[in-house]
Amino acid sequence: MSGTNGALREFTRRSALTALGAGIVGVTAASWPRLTGADIPGRGDNSLSIAIMGTAADAAARQKVIDAFAKVHPEIKVKVQAIQAVDWKDFFTKILTMVAAGTPPDVVYVATEGAQLFAEKLAHPLDEFLRRDADHMKEYFADVHPSLVEAFMYKGSLFQLPIDWNAANMYYNTASLRSAGLERPSDNWTHTDFRSTLAAMKKAKPADFTPYYWTNRLFGGVVPWLYANDTSFLKETKSPGGEWLWDGFYANDPTRSLRSGGYQWLEPNADDPRVFESFDYLRGLVKDGLGVRPEEGGGSALIGLFASNRIGTTPAGGYWVQGLHEAGMTESDFDVQFFPKWRTQRHQFGTAGYAIMRTAKDKDAAWEWVKFSSSREAMQIVFPTPNTTPARRSMVNEQLYAGTGPRNWKVFYDTLDRFPTTGPIPAPPQQAAVETALMKNVSLAVSGDERQLKDALSSMQRDLELALRRQP
Amino acid sequence: MSTATSTPTGTGSEPGRKPIHKHTQPSKRGRMQQRWLPWAFLAPTIVGMGIFTLLPIIASIALAFFRWDIISAPTFVGFDNFAEVVQDPTVRVSFINTIVFVIVAVALQLGLALGLAIMVQEKLPAWLRVFFRSAFFFPLILSAASVSIFMRYLFNEQFGVVNWLLSIVGIPAVPWLTTPTGSAAVVILVYVWQNFGFSFLLFIGGLASIPVETYEAASIDGATGWRKHWFVTLPLLSPTTLVASVMAIINALQVFDQPYVLTRGGPGDSTRTAVMVIFESAFQRLEFGQASAIGVILTLIIMAITAAQFRLSKRFVFYQ
Repeated sequence: MSGTNGALREFTRRSALTALGAGIVGVTAASWPRLTGADIPGRGDNSLSIAIMGTAADAAARQKVIDAFAKVHPEIKVKVQAIQAVDWKDFFTKILTMVAAGTPPDVVYVATEGAQLFAEKLAHPLDEFLRRDADHMKEYFADVHPSLVEAFMYKGSLFQLPIDWNAANMYYNTASLRSAGLERPSDNWTHTDFRSTLAAMKKAKPADFTPYYWTNRLFGGVVPWLYANDTSFLKETKSPGGEWLWDGFYANDPTRSLRSGGYQWLEPNADDPRVFESFDYLRGLVKDGLGVRPEEGGGSALIGLFASNRIGTTPAGGYWVQGLHEAGMTESDFDVQFFPKWRTQRHQFGTAGYAIMRTAKDKDAAWEWVKFSSSREAMQIVFPTPNTTPARRSMVNEQLYAGTGPRNWKVFYDTLDRFPTTGPIPAPPQQAAVETALMKNVSLAVSGDERQLKDALSSMQRDLELALRRQP
Repeated sequence: MSTATSTPTGTGSEPGRKPIHKHTQPSKRGRMQQRWLPWAFLAPTIVGMGIFTLLPIIASIALAFFRWDIISAPTFVGFDNFAEVVQDPTVRVSFINTIVFVIVAVALQLGLALGLAIMVQEKLPAWLRVFFRSAFFFPLILSAASVSIFMRYLFNEQFGVVNWLLSIVGIPAVPWLTTPTGSAAVVILVYVWQNFGFSFLLFIGGLASIPVETYEAASIDGATGWRKHWFVTLPLLSPTTLVASVMAIINALQVFDQPYVLTRGGPGDSTRTAVMVIFESAFQRLEFGQASAIGVILTLIIMAITAAQFRLSKRFVFYQ
């Protein structure tokens, strides 16, 4: 039947094309819900969309809080969107992209690094809500150190309630300390004591051991050394205002007189002789093989190295405890102490909490979420393990650290209680540019000779001037 | 056409013979189809290119004349962004870094790809050729960010495998990622390792297309070893080399992932590239106007270099 072959081929080809077309239409129709974007929180319904930094597993872990919230507020539907990011800067970039795309979340979990950027551009102040619910909120503020709250004040208004926080304390490997013939450092150990400790550790350990490991970043890098030396790479001043909050919630606090309308970082300070002095100290540690040249990135990779006794000391917050525990360290394998003293023993801390976006559809509902999240009930659900330090003093207790250590867990909250001038990460609204200016010069500053250090600090001063002149 | 057997223009009903079409004037509908059908097929691509390529380019050029932070309304600032960008030492350094990176990385990438392609094509048995083709191409399909994170561990000064291997042969630890020279070397090394596979495959294709007779003729004329490659392989591979170099240069000018993940542009600005500065300006400093201005300048540079390559190719490329 060769005469019909052509027609048969035509028919078959056409049928195949029709089937393909039908298939494409079918597949498109079948996957329609994903194509509409209805899955994106905040789109398609009136639920409160909340963005947090983390993985899908972190979002799932928040479900228990959402369930607890639903019992109190069944009328408010909540969706949590976890945004995976390398660091906070990366997370804020993604939030800003969502803003640009016209799909901003209603509430965002923001750390100190982005607090002033959000306050300046994106967030809605909590003042009116706090005044309205003052009676309810008294219990929260009585349990939270005012330093944490002050970190979220901006130009006299409060933009977030601290949920968790971490100070740059000094972790040490107890085995390394013992092998160097040393006891636990004293609470008021100095930077020279610290150097001696590192030297003793290095002497007692083999070549692949690093006495002091630090990373090049805004938290826990060079800044704690600057704070300890009573300086910073930015000039720190404070805004007036905020009396409504301090007089309303912290009137009897012994540090009331220290409180303000929020921190301001308006000018660079890299040319301060004390900044040079601090950098020179770190340069000396690097030069003598007591500390590493700092690399970029977070500290998560360090946990394994610390747990395998290859690192003697490193600055970190309470967030490290659970990681070390999971890496196999027991309560007696590691401990924590205050950051060494220099001219002061002022520490550096970072905190985080929910910010309500100016674009939030229902700000009252958003406030109810923020308020609930600051309750003891919600915080106990969110922080079952010591993978951060809860902002509520009453929750930093024996029970939280039982079975994980460290033995001296009291150091975490005592950092605020004993050193009330302990300050937040310097993060003006231009934080991203400021962080870049700092980080790009730190490695050069501590890796060469004195001339290279001076050049790096001059470069940092120039970069910071440019960064602060720019609008966020 | 489906009507081939039913139309009076064919004799397709005759068994074993194809229909013969007469050259008649097509109908009005047919003319319309002839005119619009190609466009209909091209439409999805044209629309896609228009929305996802052309519009962003136009928007980016327009944005270069505005100050805009996403949140507030854009303000027209004329050529201010270009003036600021040109005066910014970080931008200048990033462009110098990019040019240096392109020269070194592309030379290494093409040299390595060509050398290995000749080696694999000539010296190895067929099964090993298949293995090496896959092995050399494999890094290209990996995510640059994942590779870079992995490499960061490998090149860690204290705990990295690379320094551990060096220590076995008595070489002291090298500060790979914390000194300007070391970090630039690692960025180039990682980039070349990940990207040379594409050029390698192009060269393999090019080598396969060179007629064996040409080599035989060269052998009869007394050419051996290197002389064969110099006088036969390289000239006949020149069209492939042109394509490979144009693509390699364009890609290298846009390098971002490796330096961003490995070093974040540091130490200092030593590994900061032009695209990194665009990213930092736009998404970290919220200066979309300045980022666009840098993007426009980079685009002009890429266009100029590509045009120069094609112009030079008239002198150096030999077509069979």
